Amino acid sequence: MAKNGRFLVSLVGVAAVVTYLIWTGVSQTMQYYMTPSELVAKTIVDPSFHRVGVKVGGRIVSGSYLKGDGFHGFTVEDPEQLNVTVPVEYRGDLPDTFNDRPEMIVDAVMEGRFRTDGVFEATTVLTKCGSRYEASPEALKAG
Amino acid sequence: MNVLGELALWIALPVALLGTVLGFVAGRHQRGDLQLGAERSVYAVFGLTILASAGIISNFLNDRFEYLYTASYSNRELDVFYKVAGLWSGQRGSLLFWLLFLMLFSSICVWTNRNKNREFMPYVVGILGAVASFFLTILLFADVNPYEKLGFTPANGQGLNPQLQSYWMTIHPPMLYMGFTSFTVPFAFAIAALVSGRLDSRWIEVTRRWILLSWFFLAIGIVLGMRWAYEELGWGGYWFWDPVENASLLPWLSATAFLHSIQIQESRGMLRVWNMFLVILTFTLTIFATFLTRSGLIESVHSFAQELKIAYIFLSFLFVIVASGAVLILWRLPELKSDNQIESFLSREAAFLFNNLMLLGVLFAVLWGTLFPLISEGLTGEKISVGPPFFNRVNIPIGLILLALTGVGPVIAWRRASKQNIKKSFTVPVGVGLAVAGGLFAIGVRHGYALATFGISSFVMAVIVIEFFKGTRARARIENENWAIAFAHLIARNRRRWGGYVVHAGVVVMFSGIAGSSFNVNIRQTLEPGESAVIPSPLGHEYKLTYEGMSTTSATASNSNNNFAFQLVALLRVENDGKQLPTLTTEKRGYIAQDQPTTEVGIRSSFLEDLYVILSDVADLRSAIMNEPDAQTATFTFMVNPLVGWIWYGGMTVALGGLIGLWPSVSGAPVRAPVLSSARTREPVPVGAAGD
Repeated sequence: MAKNGRFLVSLVGVAAVVTYLIWTGVSQTMQYYMTPSELVAKTIVDPSFHRVGVKVGGRIVSGSYLKGDGFHGFTVEDPEQLNVTVPVEYRGDLPDTFNDRPEMIVDAVMEGRFRTDGVFEATTVLTKCGSRYEASPEALKAG
Repeated sequence: MNVLGELALWIALPVALLGTVLGFVAGRHQRGDLQLGAERSVYAVFGLTILASAGIISNFLNDRFEYLYTASYSNRELDVFYKVAGLWSGQRGSLLFWLLFLMLFSSICVWTNRNKNREFMPYVVGILGAVASFFLTILLFADVNPYEKLGFTPANGQGLNPQLQSYWMTIHPPMLYMGFTSFTVPFAFAIAALVSGRLDSRWIEVTRRWILLSWFFLAIGIVLGMRWAYEELGWGGYWFWDPVENASLLPWLSATAFLHSIQIQESRGMLRVWNMFLVILTFTLTIFATFLTRSGLIESVHSFAQELKIAYIFLSFLFVIVASGAVLILWRLPELKSDNQIESFLSREAAFLFNNLMLLGVLFAVLWGTLFPLISEGLTGEKISVGPPFFNRVNIPIGLILLALTGVGPVIAWRRASKQNIKKSFTVPVGVGLAVAGGLFAIGVRHGYALATFGISSFVMAVIVIEFFKGTRARARIENENWAIAFAHLIARNRRRWGGYVVHAGVVVMFSGIAGSSFNVNIRQTLEPGESAVIPSPLGHEYKLTYEGMSTTSATASNSNNNFAFQLVALLRVENDGKQLPTLTTEKRGYIAQDQPTTEVGIRSSFLEDLYVILSDVADLRSAIMNEPDAQTATFTFMVNPLVGWIWYGGMTVALGGLIGLWPSVSGAPVRAPVLSSARTREPVPVGAAGD
């Protein structure tokens, strides 16, 4: 019995180590994941948010893509609050699924920093097609 | 065909429900006649599902774009190959495809057990019917019916996402789905054991090969997904800790834990409750994974209202599984007591138990990280996410311990290892591991985790090689065979054990391949035709890549794939330390019905490293397609990925080991479980330890 007790203690020990790893892992790598309107609201309340890295998910505004000098520029909007838009600058490779055609609904998840000039400087851009690549009936009618 | 297919789905649901009820009633009242009916309902649902699937495929082949699903994932020009694969290109079809595999495996299970395991079978059939009913309910009532009509007929479909037009992507989902669905059989037997009260290890013996089969398909599916990401997504990596990737990893982790812990129950009669927990957990995770990948709960930026219905149905089902599993285990708790207790830390039981804990630790970390945005939003109202840095931070140390246990577990003695056993088993391997790590340090490798991985990998590999060597030598002596025959007989006599070693060897090779990514080189450069980029390899040599310009094929004439609008190919001459190598190409491709071009990377693989080139950007794409000579400026990303090939070699080795373990059931040879397991324990442990 004593041996089993000792064994239990070691199991608890392992569990504690794993918990510790997860705990510190989360606290040291976590990022706020916000919509464009949350991002704008948050930085108004707390300007220090311009300095921390955040993750923002928004919908690519149709026709907003432009090629800058060495960077890609586009705008994302909040699908639930269409009046809030955030311009984005990105210097990496855009994913192949990036699209700003009006009949395509493409969401972008970006990591980066919201500069004080109101431009989001992205370090990574991932795209998620709305409703998992499924076309909307309107799009099919248009095509 | 299409009308028949849709009708088949509507008939299948009541048949599946009827089978469920008949199964449970037959079990409760020992009614053979009802049981026969229940079993026939499984075959009937299988037949109906085949009809429904065939209807979808015929919709694709006949370009029936009046159906939303067909219009969303196909167009007239799509290759026939991808039209057939249309069945699993999108969410709606995938759910049907899932059901198709579930019914295939259910039918095989019912057929192979038609004359045996009668104490379990009524409940097994009942559970299989219940799972089928659940998926049929989703298909018919959660707005995901693949037969939903648009109300008008578009001239052409949207076409298939080009990234999914890849050989890997076509075989990757079926593998995963086979892994997910085949695990329903062990789960059904476990529940049948709990309900019927036959709680010895019989349910494990019966389903052992199903467990291995499921694990095997999951492993292959995951590696194929990595391979697809590496070739097709074009960012040089193969794993991004994306929710969808994580979803497939979770059930594999718990299935791996289960595969190990059942050995303790079979040999030592311990961990009965734990095994019940693991089998229910794994099944829950297969459903959860399907939910996560097919509902868009986590990946979507915003909640889509139309997805709520499917989410609620899935969550209710998950709740029912977990709750009923917990109630059943608690009810049978007194009968699930262990025959034995763990006697020592230095024993195989202890090593396996730690292996289980580590695997569940990784599982929990991955699950936590994946769900963290939801959890934090629920608790604090703010969505907080964790990315690859979190997963790497937590999982690399745990993974290294697991890797080390891979070397310890199989050779340490049961019950209590003697000092002599440990010394004899581990002196040489530990020496090998230290020598490799020390050697790498001496030639300048300073990356801590990489050193640890290579050291531990060498240790484990040494253990495995020594085991094979000793086993073969012993057999060659005793049976007076030559070494090659002795080696083959050795494996054939205990496929489970030696197949397991082969799997471990594959895992070791994969770990080393993953560790290689610590030394990746990534250089981005814009070049004019004639200009060169010099890319240093971490192995000491230097690549010189000279950009020779672009060529286009704008028409469809030159290519068999008539779905291409254009192909823009950049040519790069490659020299390795001045030595000429074959030319590399990387492309931008335009597809009909998709106006955003896709990128095809150029990869030159060798045993030790891959040279990986991405055509990142073409300054003026439109003019470049027109072959205008002054529009050839292009930006490339050059990468050197050391040891990445080892991941694929390791994956193939894992698959080979899995096949060795599975072989007897594939050839239809009878499984003599009791003989096997007693042979296992009586077999003299080659290191002369105190085995029983």
